[in-house]
Amino acid sequence: MTDANQHEPLLLRVTGLTVRLNSSHGLVHAVEDVSFSLARGQTLGIVGESGSGKSVMARSLMGLLPRRSIAFGSGSILFHTDNAQEQDLAQMPDKLMRHLRGPAMAMVFQDPMTALNPVLRLSVQLTEPLRQHLGLDRQQARSRAIELLAAVGIPDAAGRIDQYPHQLSGGMRQRVVIAIALACNPALLIADEPTTALDVTVQKQILDLLARLQREHNMAMILITHDLGVVASRADYIAVMYAGRIVEYAPARTLFTSMQHPYTEALFKSIPRINDPSHTRLQAIPGRPPQLINAAVGCAFAPRCQYVQPRCRQQTPPVVEVPDAREHRHACFYPISPGLNREEGDD
Amino acid sequence: MTDKTPCQLRERDDIVLRVAHLSVNFAVGKQTVQAVTDVSFDVARGETLGLVGESGCGKSTIGRAIMQLPPPSAGAVIFRDQDMTVLSGEALRQTRTGLQMIFQDPVSSLNPRRRVRDIIAEGLTIWGRDNSAARVEEVMSAVGLDAASAGDRRPHQFSGGQCQRICIARSLALDPDVLICDEPVSALDVSVQAQILNLLEDMKARYHLTMVFIAHNLAVVKNISDRVAVMYLGKLCEIGNTEAIYSKPVHPYTRALLASIPDADPLAREQALLDEEPLLQGELPSPADPPSGCRFRTRCPYAQERCAREEPFMQAAGDDHFVACHFPLL
Amino acid sequence: MRTKVSDQSVVRSRAQGFSAAARQVFGRGFGPGFWIAAGWLLVVALSAIFADVLPVRDPLDPVISNRLNGPLTTNILGADGLGRDMLSRLVHGARVSVVIALTAVTIGMVIGGTLGILAGYFRGHFERGLMAVLDVILAFPWLVLLLALVAFIGQSLMAISVAIGFLWIPAYARVARANTLSVVQREYVLAARAMGAGTLRILLREVLPNVILPVLAYGLVAMGLVIIVESALAFLGLSVEAPQPTWGGMISEGKRHLATAVHVALVPSITMFLTVLSLNYVGDRLRSRFDVRESNL
Repeated sequence: MTDANQHEPLLLRVTGLTVRLNSSHGLVHAVEDVSFSLARGQTLGIVGESGSGKSVMARSLMGLLPRRSIAFGSGSILFHTDNAQEQDLAQMPDKLMRHLRGPAMAMVFQDPMTALNPVLRLSVQLTEPLRQHLGLDRQQARSRAIELLAAVGIPDAAGRIDQYPHQLSGGMRQRVVIAIALACNPALLIADEPTTALDVTVQKQILDLLARLQREHNMAMILITHDLGVVASRADYIAVMYAGRIVEYAPARTLFTSMQHPYTEALFKSIPRINDPSHTRLQAIPGRPPQLINAAVGCAFAPRCQYVQPRCRQQTPPVVEVPDAREHRHACFYPISPGLNREEGDD
Repeated sequence: MTDKTPCQLRERDDIVLRVAHLSVNFAVGKQTVQAVTDVSFDVARGETLGLVGESGCGKSTIGRAIMQLPPPSAGAVIFRDQDMTVLSGEALRQTRTGLQMIFQDPVSSLNPRRRVRDIIAEGLTIWGRDNSAARVEEVMSAVGLDAASAGDRRPHQFSGGQCQRICIARSLALDPDVLICDEPVSALDVSVQAQILNLLEDMKARYHLTMVFIAHNLAVVKNISDRVAVMYLGKLCEIGNTEAIYSKPVHPYTRALLASIPDADPLAREQALLDEEPLLQGELPSPADPPSGCRFRTRCPYAQERCAREEPFMQAAGDDHFVACHFPLL
Repeated sequence: MRTKVSDQSVVRSRAQGFSAAARQVFGRGFGPGFWIAAGWLLVVALSAIFADVLPVRDPLDPVISNRLNGPLTTNILGADGLGRDMLSRLVHGARVSVVIALTAVTIGMVIGGTLGILAGYFRGHFERGLMAVLDVILAFPWLVLLLALVAFIGQSLMAISVAIGFLWIPAYARVARANTLSVVQREYVLAARAMGAGTLRILLREVLPNVILPVLAYGLVAMGLVIIVESALAFLGLSVEAPQPTWGGMISEGKRHLATAVHVALVPSITMFLTVLSLNYVGDRLRSRFDVRESNL
C-alpha cells in the first residue's frame, strides 16, 4: 500500500509500536501494535476515550515515558531529520533523544497551568530552549521570545514576557505553552488534548492558532483528542483508537463518509449533534471502555458491539485495508460497509 | 404587573420554579465578586431549562443558590409558592427535598466509605420515609443498576458512568419535583455521556421531573433542553426556546459561542480556515470589576458608545425569545 | 485450536482470580517490609499483654552473680547492673511503653480530633480561636511544659500518659482539621445537605468516617514519638518511678555501664529503635492508603 505522502516528504513512520506499562494493578497494555505514517505539514488526528492509549502513545513517541514504568516496548519509530537521515527513536538513548525534543519534535499538553513552571517568569521559560538548542545569546533569545509571544497572539508581548503564569488566563497560558513548543521550530508538534481544559470560544482560537502556525512552518502535527468534532475539520488523517489499538485509520473525509469500524460509528452516533433537534434520542454505547489490565482475548470492542459475532470474542482482528479505498484501514472482521459509500445507500 | 418584573418571566399556572432578580456575591479577600447579578428565569412543569455559558459565568453558582447552598445575596427563589430565600431551619430543609442536585464529578459526589444501598437510602432515612430494600431496589433498577450485585459495594468499585447513575438514583429516591444537573456528563467518557443523557430523559418522563440542566457543552444542552438561557459574566444574555436560540441567536455572544463549536463535518474544513477572524476580542474581564453598561461590550464586535453607558435590559426578540442587548442581531 | 484459546483464557482468568483473592486478603502493594514491621509490633503488643504469664524471670529479682553478664551467657539478652534479667525487663517495660503510647495517643486523638473536625467544618471564629490556642501550645517548649505537667499531676503511669496526651492535642487537631477541610469540599457533603441532613448527621456519617482513617494511621506514627518522649522523661528520672522497668529507664541505667557493658544500654535502645521504626513505617503506609486526597483516584 502507499500512504498519501506523494506531495510532501515522509517525516514519521511508526510500525508495530507496542508499549506495556507496569502498574500496581498489573500489566497495562497501553499501546498495542500501532502503525501509521505522517508527512511534513500534515495533521493526524488521534481520537480516543480515556484509557484508549492515545496519551501513552504520544509520550512514547517523545520518549517521555519513565523508563522504569515500561514493562515491555517494541516496534519502530522512524523519524526523518532535516538531512533526510532516518533515525529510530525507539532505539535512541535518552541523551540523544533530548537533543531532538525541541528542534525536531515538541509537545503541547492538556493542562496549561501545570505545563508552565509557576515560579519562573515567562521570559525564563521561553528563552531557555532558545539558548540551549539554538545557541542564542541572552539578548537575541529575549527578542526572539517576544516575537514568539506575538506570533501566538499575545497582545503586548514585550510587556507580558516578564509576567508569571498565574497572571495569565487559561487561554493565554496555552498560547504561551504553544510558543514554548514552537520556539525551536519543530518539524513535528504533538498536541495532547490541547483544548480540553479550555472554554469553547478559547478552544476555537487555540485550534485556529495551531492551524495557522502549522501552515506557516510546514509543520506536521499529531492532534490528540476525545472529541471527533475537533479533528473532523482540522486533520488530514484520523486514527480512531480503542483499547490501545488503532481500530480505524482513514483520510478525514473518507472516515466520515464511510465508517468501517463499529466503534467509530457508535462513537459518532452517540455524540449529541448541534444540528439535530432537541430531545433527539442518542444511540448510546452500552458498557464502558475496557481497563487495559492484562491482555484481552478477541476484539476489545466486542462486549459493547451491536454487530458482535462469536469469532470477535476469540480472535483479535488484524488491521486490513478497505478494498478499493485509498489509505483506509480498519481492524474488524465484520466491517460495516465493505467498499460501499454510505452516503449513497444508507439509512 | 409592575414594570420591574422582567419580561422573560412568564405568566403561567404551571411554573414550578421561579428565580427573580437573583444575585450572588462572594467575598474574596477584601473585594466583593459578583458571581451572579440580577438573573431572572422560570421553569414550567415538565420543562428542561438549559443554562449555558463559559467557565466563570456563574451558571453553577445559580444552581447552588436555588438550593440555598449557600443562599443568594439578593433576589427570590420561588418554589411551591414559597420564597425559599426567607425560609430557614426546618422549613428550609423540608422544602429543599423537593429540589435535588446532581454534580459534575460523580466520584466526589459519593461518600467513599458507605455502601451504595445506604447512599441511595440516605434521604429516605433522614426523613423517616419508606427506606425499605424494595424502595431502594426500585430506584436502583430504574437507573439501570443491578440492586443485588451493586447494592453492597462501595462507590470506588464503579466507573464514572455507574457512579453518576448512583447519584441520580439517590436524587430520585426523595421523589423531587425539580432536578438540578450541574455539568452531569462533562466528567464522563464520550461513549458513556449518551447513556446518562438518555437516562436523564427517561427519568424525567418516568418521575415527571422538571429540570435545570447546567452545562458548557452547547450540543449537549441543545439535546436535552426545551428552553435555553445563555449567561456571560454573571448575567443573562439571552433566553428562549431551544430552537429559536440555536437557529436564530440574536445576542452577539450567543452567536460567537455557537460559531465556536467544532463541527464533526470534514466538509466544513474550508469554511473553518476561512473564518479564522476572531469572533470575540480580548479576554474575559474580571468578575470583581465588570465593565460598565453591557458586560459583553469589551469583547463585542458590534459594541457602540451606548453599550458602555447603559445597561441593556431584557426585551422580546420573538416568540418566547428574549435578549439583553441594545443592538440585537435580529 | 479455538478450544485451546478459550482454555488458556480460562486458566488465565482463574490465575487472575487467585491473585485478586490474595490481594483481598493481604492488601494490595503493602510489601514484605510492612508485614515484618507489623509482625514486630504484634510481638511487642503480645509481650505487654502477657508479660506476667510469659516464661521469663522476675524483672525485679537481682541475681548478683549475673551482674553485667553479656547476652547469650547466663541470661539470653544479658543482665543489667543489678543482675536483673534484661529480657524480662524488656517484656515488662513494653507494658509501660504500650500503655503510655495508647493512652496518650487516645487522649490526643479524641480531644484533638474532635476539635479539629469541628474547626474544619464550622470554620469562622471558632477555627481562628482554636488555631491560635494550638499555636501557643505548639510554640511552648514541649519538654518544659511536660516537666511542669508531671510536677503538677504526679509520676504515676496514668499521670504521665495524660501529660503526654495533652501535648498531642494540637498535632491531632491540625491533622483532623486539614482532612476535614478537604472532605467538606466534596460534593457528597453538599448532596447530604440537599437531602436535608442535619449538621450532626453530616458530621457523623459523611465527615467522620472519611477523617478517622488518616487520623488513626497518624496515630501509629504518633505512638512512636510518644515512646521516645517517655524515654526522654525516664532519662531525666521523671517517668514511672523505679523499680518498675521502662525502656527509657533501662537506657538511662545503662549509660552508667557504657564503658564496660554496652549491652545494658544497647539492648533496650535497639528494641525501642525497632519499635519506633515499625510504628512509623506501618503508620506511613496506612496513611498513604487512607489519605482522603489520595484515595478515590
